[in-house]
Amino acid sequence: MTSAIGLNGLQKTYPGSPPVRALRNADLTINDNEFFTLLGPSGCGKTTLLRLMAGFEVPTAGELTLFGDDIAHLPPEKRPINTVFQHYSLFPHMTVLDNVAFGLKRLGKPDGEAKKMAQEMLDLVHLSEFGARKPDQLSGGQQQRVALARALAPHPRVLLLDEPLSALDLKLRQSMRAELKRLQRETGITFVFVTHDQEEALAMSDRIAVMSQGEIQQVGDPATIYEFPENRFVAEFIGDADFFEAEALGGSRYELSNGEILIGPETKTASGAEVTLFFRPEKATLKHAGEGVRGRVSDILYLGNSTDYVVELAQGGALTVRSENHKDGTAIADVGADVVVEIDPAAVRVVTP
Amino acid sequence: MMRLGDMIRSHMALIPAMVVIGFFMILPILIILIYSFLAPGDYGGVKPEFSIDAYQRLLFQRDLFDHMVFDPAYLKIAFRSVWVAVVSVVGCLILGFPVAYYIACQPEERRNIYLLLITIPFWTNLLIRTYCWILVLRDTGLINGGLMRLGLIDEPLSLLYTEGAIALGLIYTYVPFMVLPIYAALERLDRRLIEAARDLYSSRWVALRHVVIPLAMPGIVAGSILVFIPALGAFIAPDLLGGGKNLMLGSLVQLQFSSARNWPFGSALAMIIMAMVLISLFFYARSARKNGGGIQH
Repeated sequence: MTSAIGLNGLQKTYPGSPPVRALRNADLTINDNEFFTLLGPSGCGKTTLLRLMAGFEVPTAGELTLFGDDIAHLPPEKRPINTVFQHYSLFPHMTVLDNVAFGLKRLGKPDGEAKKMAQEMLDLVHLSEFGARKPDQLSGGQQQRVALARALAPHPRVLLLDEPLSALDLKLRQSMRAELKRLQRETGITFVFVTHDQEEALAMSDRIAVMSQGEIQQVGDPATIYEFPENRFVAEFIGDADFFEAEALGGSRYELSNGEILIGPETKTASGAEVTLFFRPEKATLKHAGEGVRGRVSDILYLGNSTDYVVELAQGGALTVRSENHKDGTAIADVGADVVVEIDPAAVRVVTP
Repeated sequence: MMRLGDMIRSHMALIPAMVVIGFFMILPILIILIYSFLAPGDYGGVKPEFSIDAYQRLLFQRDLFDHMVFDPAYLKIAFRSVWVAVVSVVGCLILGFPVAYYIACQPEERRNIYLLLITIPFWTNLLIRTYCWILVLRDTGLINGGLMRLGLIDEPLSLLYTEGAIALGLIYTYVPFMVLPIYAALERLDRRLIEAARDLYSSRWVALRHVVIPLAMPGIVAGSILVFIPALGAFIAPDLLGGGKNLMLGSLVQLQFSSARNWPFGSALAMIIMAMVLISLFFYARSARKNGGGIQH
């Protein structure tokens, strides 16, 4: 597999007192023809990384390569990389067609050819009829598509997308997800997508890099990130997570503070060590009796297709158990009921804090 | 139908301005219009008899035999005035645009300080400031003296009393009028659009040409109008720096009301200046409407 973008010890520090270390020592390889997502909360460094790739920022240290060539100090206009901006940033004084043709013309394409190619891009994003309009005569979703067409028109080697869906409403956002996937497949261009929406990231990406506080926490495909988070931050940020503290007894046995024994994954951790165990709420089952962690239902949240039961544990702390709803709509347990939480040992993970 | 009382109430805020404009602008303009069709009084002022002499004098002279002969002297002055005003606009644009751009790019708290600095020249009287240019430009002035002492020239360059000196004085006087509206347009400009242009293979200069300047066009046009109009009718700079031999419309008007004592001719000239300004504004407004706000290129 060819590497489209390579980061090697890439750093960005903004001067100030104290200096802001927006990106600390990032190592990452983004493959050619990949839908790659940078995921993290605001201020995690994902936008800084995107701006470094686009050329709007110059790295403080480290290497940044595009198909093997060092581009760290090239100005944005010299990089075959285009960006779909968060607020679209369409040129308000130009028609939609002129917006899309803008990059092509700057690359030296004759006027007629640029317009013809721009029209083809508009066809691709289903806006064939809108070329003569001004951007402010379009809806948010349409402007979004124009921004996409404009960035794709010069056939960049890499397309950067800076939270492009965040300004759209829910339904439109969902249809644009499928649209973006389709465009990525059809054009074969590497997409680097920035978002803070974990659901969006899981639904669209080939691979995800989860970022926090200027550092890349974990890189992997969506299923790996969801099922095998490497640390507590990743586990908490992606999906819902239950944590509880336990003492490793060696092998796959863990003892809770009230003496209950839980079977979990094999661990190499020394016997007697304090560990944090983690599982997804839908991987546990609520029972009225049997083997498992004991507790009492303290809250019930009805979610339509499922219900979240908040269980106060006998040993202290609380877990959330997500359970599919009965067809007749009745609850499995009422608030105040004594229950047993049965956790599939294969779904329990040990995470570093 | 709106009742008169409601109408007055809803436009009440405008009444003071309407009264001032009515009494001190529209009324004087009407008086000047009337004066321009009267005969000159012997010691200034006007005689109450109808005459189109003032307008005829613009293009024709009476010769010895009382025949009307075409005389382009005043036409030349009008053209020279327009030319000097256009040069001043261009000069102000070249000087003012980068300054406005620079200020608009500064952090917000610093912008107001710079804008205040732009107004510093207004703190001193215009006459004194223009006189200072004489000290700089005259044969024994700062520039010529300096160049001669450096041995670069043997005899002084004639800088003062030229059209160039007039334009210099006008540019110096009116450049703030160019900076402020352009700054206002650039300040509103979304900086992310420049990034978008850079991202789409535009160098700084190409982004300036295709994105910044078109979007700043309303400010550029407003600034050009604000410079062109007073420059066309200016008389202090032409008088002091043009030395009377390069007459411009403004100084010609002033002359008619003072030493020449031909009020009707002065009034007619004033009406001509106003007509020229109104006609150019009309053409601007029409082209702006056609191009959707004048920001298209």
